[in-house]
Amino acid sequence: MTPLAIAGALAALIATATVLGLLWKRQDGRATPGSGRISPSEITLGSTATLLQFSSQICAYCPATRRVLSEAATNGISHVELDVVENQKLVSRFNILQTPTTLILDHRGDVKARIGGAVRPDTLSAELDRVLAAA
Amino acid sequence: MIDPRGPRFGAAITAVLLLVVIGLALGGATIAATVIFAVQVALFAWGAFAGIQRHPYGILFKNIVRPRLQAPTELEDPTPPTFAQGVGFAITLVGLVLQLVGVPGALVIAASAAFIAAFLNSVFAYCLGCQLYLLLVRAGILGRKGAAAQ
Repeated sequence: MTPLAIAGALAALIATATVLGLLWKRQDGRATPGSGRISPSEITLGSTATLLQFSSQICAYCPATRRVLSEAATNGISHVELDVVENQKLVSRFNILQTPTTLILDHRGDVKARIGGAVRPDTLSAELDRVLAAA
Repeated sequence: MIDPRGPRFGAAITAVLLLVVIGLALGGATIAATVIFAVQVALFAWGAFAGIQRHPYGILFKNIVRPRLQAPTELEDPTPPTFAQGVGFAITLVGLVLQLVGVPGALVIAASAAFIAAFLNSVFAYCLGCQLYLLLVRAGILGRKGAAAQ
């Protein structure tokens, strides 16, 4: 290949990686609608809402998410953290693809929202307001 | 616990080194490309087996770069970046072996895959292990009966 063609190939590779990174950033930490239900026999539900966090040993943003969620766990909102290795049935049932993944459940255990990746406090409080208002 | 900027600093050097490998390979300098790539395989092995803190780039960061930076806002568990080094080691080792037995394009493809992972890690703080570890758990390869990956 000529030097110009090589430079072009390397630039295309860098551009591809940049686009992948921007796509990942755009969905990371975003809340999406949830579906399904968890019964009180599976986990201890909060009286108003439950923040269910799936974590793993290999997880850079699980500790930060744990902090954000446990700070929000007041007024009947409970924070439950499950390890993906020990809870593989729930992982398959809710198709958890990354850690942390947070499910926001209402007082009945219905999954109302889902956040993949590190949870930001503003995203969480907006979703919680919505879930609590609908109850 | 480690400064999360350390692994990102190392990933930036890795990304540049891999770009050099790809450039040399595309330019026909196969021997030079293979030698540098083999060095990269060894560096990944170092990070994966000795731990990210004992990796040469980690030591370079701690002694030369970090004293010039402000204190980190948050510290991080070294397990995820160490796991990522293991993934890098596996991908590049396969590429190196295929290259040495004469599979065309093996070196460029493996180096490109490793470059994308290193670039995302360095520029976007992407955590490869956060997705890949879970996929391996779900496939039943890792994490049976609570066994640790590292």
